[in-house]
Amino acid sequence: MKSSLDFEQIDRFKEDLDKCTKCGFCMSYCPVYQEERVESSVARGKIMLIRALLDGELEATDEMAEQLNRCTLCMTCAENCPAGTNVPSVIAAARADKVRLKGLSFPYSIIYRWLLPRRRLFGYVVRLASWFQGIFLPKTEGSIRHLSFFLSALGKGRHIPQIAHKFLRQSVPEINSPPAGVEVKYTVGYFTGCMTDFVFPELGEKIINFLTRNGVEVVVPRGQGCCGAPVFLGAGDFDTGRKMADVNVKAFKELDYIITDCATCASAMKDYIKYLADNEERKREYAEFAGKIKDITEFLVDMVKLPPSAYRVAGEFKGKTVTWHEPCHLGRYLGVKEQPRKILQSIPDINYIEMPDADRCCGMAGTFSIYFYDLSRKIADKKVASIKSTGADIVVTDCPGCQIQLIDSTTRHGMPQKVMHIMELFE
Amino acid sequence: MLNSKHIDQLRRIVGKENILTSKEELLVYSYDATNMWQHLPEVVVLPSNVEQISAILKLANENLIPVTPRGGGTNVSGGSIPIKGGIVLCTTRMDRIIDINKTNLNARVEPGVVLQDFQAALAEEGLFFPPDPQSFSGCTMGGVVAENSAGPSCLKYGVAKQYVLGLEVVLADGTTMKLGGLTPKNRTGYELSMLFTGSEGTLGVISKITLRMLPAPKATRTIVAVISDVAVAGETVTEIIASSVLPSKVEFVDNWTFEKFRGLLPDEILDKSQVILLIQVDGLPETVDAETQQVVALCKSRAGEVRVAEDQAETDRYWQARAAHFSDISSRAHTIINEDICVPRDKIAEFIKLGQESAKKYDVPISFAGHVGDGNFHPVVLTDSRDKEHYQRSLKCVEEIIEIALSLGGVLSGEHGIGLEKQRFLKKAMDPAAIEIMKKIKDVLDPNHILNPGKIWEETSDEE
Ligand SMILES: Cc1cc2nc3c(=O)[nH]c(=O)nc-3n(C[C@H](O)[C@H](O)[C@H](O)COP(=O)(O)OP(=O)(O)OC[C@H]3O[C@@H](n4cnc5c(N)ncnc54)[C@H](O)[C@@H]3O)c2cc1C
Ligand code: SF4
Ligand code: SF4
Repeated sequence: MKSSLDFEQIDRFKEDLDKCTKCGFCMSYCPVYQEERVESSVARGKIMLIRALLDGELEATDEMAEQLNRCTLCMTCAENCPAGTNVPSVIAAARADKVRLKGLSFPYSIIYRWLLPRRRLFGYVVRLASWFQGIFLPKTEGSIRHLSFFLSALGKGRHIPQIAHKFLRQSVPEINSPPAGVEVKYTVGYFTGCMTDFVFPELGEKIINFLTRNGVEVVVPRGQGCCGAPVFLGAGDFDTGRKMADVNVKAFKELDYIITDCATCASAMKDYIKYLADNEERKREYAEFAGKIKDITEFLVDMVKLPPSAYRVAGEFKGKTVTWHEPCHLGRYLGVKEQPRKILQSIPDINYIEMPDADRCCGMAGTFSIYFYDLSRKIADKKVASIKSTGADIVVTDCPGCQIQLIDSTTRHGMPQKVMHIMELFE
Repeated sequence: MLNSKHIDQLRRIVGKENILTSKEELLVYSYDATNMWQHLPEVVVLPSNVEQISAILKLANENLIPVTPRGGGTNVSGGSIPIKGGIVLCTTRMDRIIDINKTNLNARVEPGVVLQDFQAALAEEGLFFPPDPQSFSGCTMGGVVAENSAGPSCLKYGVAKQYVLGLEVVLADGTTMKLGGLTPKNRTGYELSMLFTGSEGTLGVISKITLRMLPAPKATRTIVAVISDVAVAGETVTEIIASSVLPSKVEFVDNWTFEKFRGLLPDEILDKSQVILLIQVDGLPETVDAETQQVVALCKSRAGEVRVAEDQAETDRYWQARAAHFSDISSRAHTIINEDICVPRDKIAEFIKLGQESAKKYDVPISFAGHVGDGNFHPVVLTDSRDKEHYQRSLKCVEEIIEIALSLGGVLSGEHGIGLEKQRFLKKAMDPAAIEIMKKIKDVLDPNHILNPGKIWEETSDEE
């Protein structure tokens, strides 16, 4: 039998467990339960499993990990729970305790513990993968190709975009100033995230151009690394996660604002303090760091307060019908719900239409979609039906992870919609 | 009893994706929404059709294996807890709405359809199924019928049994039986559908349900009244109904749940009040306007604050706050004892007064909430089962409150059913001759007592 000491992380979130009254409301919100219809998918079931773990009634077996991991951490249960129970926190904590007790399993141990924290090396491996992908793998629909090598192991044959020929870090300077004659209103650090850096560098360039044109000086600190979400939230490796957090905190130390284009990175970095702060100094540093982080739409609407005329839609998208997928990490984690909609509704050059259940999880959830690909696809199919019902030409979102999932699922369904980051709409 | 051979046979019946056997998977079928009951099943099966249900029951009956039917597991009486182990037969994967017929005003559903999904599908057709247990987001149609559930709307529209036109039921020996029909009138033989409605899974497994629908009301309006005193609130309700207005809902929450209404209603009024009444009127727009005025006028003379919700958003917020009551109150104490008595409407004020006196006598905190419009209350005593002395006092208080309700002409359970939780009171609340008849009916339909054994009445040693 395990003692409660073995569950040091879960213990920190025990209050979240104790709140659950077993009312069962979460059944109607949980995207995993909607597909599986078994009690172990839903928040109530997971809470009861963790309670049994703490009571010593059940052990930290692989089966237990399997049950707890079948969760996209979408936060829908927590948002709607009348008792205020927060299951995702407890599950993230349970993953950490499982890692401490059992270690990580291969091949993820190599990727998570060793490769992701080494940003430069990770870049090279990705680059290597991109060469192989060109040579060995068939072209799928349009410009979308199967990714090769370990990334394709991660993607399990999804239709996902190819690795860029040139990474963002290789194509932009560290300091990007507004053009001559434009007054500098803000100086911000840009956290580019792995996806924008390696897969969507043109998005990064667009964002830098957009910001500088509107009076924002953009610094892209070279020392930044992966946000750590797949490591500490996905795989429960808090030790490695902490190292990654410290790297980012250091890289942005001198800057007052940190802008992100990835809701997952932003919320993971805001959560350093919740999961990784193991001493007073880190608590202070992580709190200060969290306070600086702003999602790009939040920054533009709440701080720069740009007029609608500043959002100049790129020629090819003018007159198109656009719908919006709200990433879980943006709406429910960061509480950024209105800002992107405000932008989309205010621009005259597009026709904005809200899809039904725009805030429903797309099923990507990083590590989750690797372990539970079929389930992840089924969750995505519901999203696809929502998109279809709008008849939109373009789906925009604010998280490259969601973007990959939406590209994969619209392609699977042979749908014409273009999937983009919201900032790609603009010149 | 249950051995690995049976598990293999069950696996062949439902397929390997529809049988759960690991410790982890079993644990999550050991509880429902009650506080104190828990028991592990030995296996969980999730059948996909009636033939599978029949094969499961046949196997169980031949081998004397207990079977506990389960839908969403949201009941609050211990009804779906497999107290004797054996098989949990969970219907959540039979979740098809078979059809909705607007002309006939009826619908056919499989038992695992979630009430909220059903209501949403009906709303698209302009139709309405009134029973609305506040667990609508998780409870299933099978559970709603097996518990004969009700909710706020039942004041005007009646409870689940008033909507059951027909059932398909699988009996303990595996026989599939069709009862009732598609028509609103049917005088063919005994009302056997009613025998299974409210039977708490002890007589058969409901595998298909035909329900009567109503056209959705054209307009609704919500009125909120904040009242300083519990007894005054009771009188207000009695007076509204006596004035010939029949609201669709009259709900009552006491100040234990006021937190959920903060921000919606003024703090200074909430601070000095004991009760919020939520009243909904519905019908044609003209009627709704007139009835709203009448209700507001009646409330004004007694309430500190009366509000009429201005739009759907405001309306939703009030009703969400109401639906959160159970969770809210449950999270206030380690253990809650949640009762479900129902008293005649003209005894509401008296019941509350006597209930409060009882709580004072035993020195335990008590909260009153419920569907006050039809006299159905959920008095909740807040306690801690680890504190033996406090817990014993609480049990005594609950017992006294039930006696008060019965003495006022009320009943033991308005809507939650007896299950495990309330069996110790059954003898007080039901004619002994009627209990004997129930047992005889059970013997006829389920002679081996495999279906949800141990529920409703306390077993004597020779029954075990
Ligand atoms: C927060 C909350 C609020 C609630 N509010 C109300 C309310 O306002 N009004 C009200 O009436 N109830 C209420 N309830 C109680 C409960 O939700 C209802 O009784 C509900 O109808 C149960 O449905 P279920 O699918 O969860 O059934 P379960 O809990 O799974 O089962 C309930 C009983 O029905 C039997 N059963 C289930 N399916 C079948 C089947 N197919 N065939 C035969 N037997 C079956 C089970 O054996 C068990 O005895 C509330 C519960 C909670 C947690
Ligand atoms: S997690 Fe929340 S919604 Fe789900 S059963 Fe527990 S209290 Fe109810
Ligand atoms: S976080 Fe999302 S997937 Fe996980 S239990 Fe809650 S609702 Fe389900």
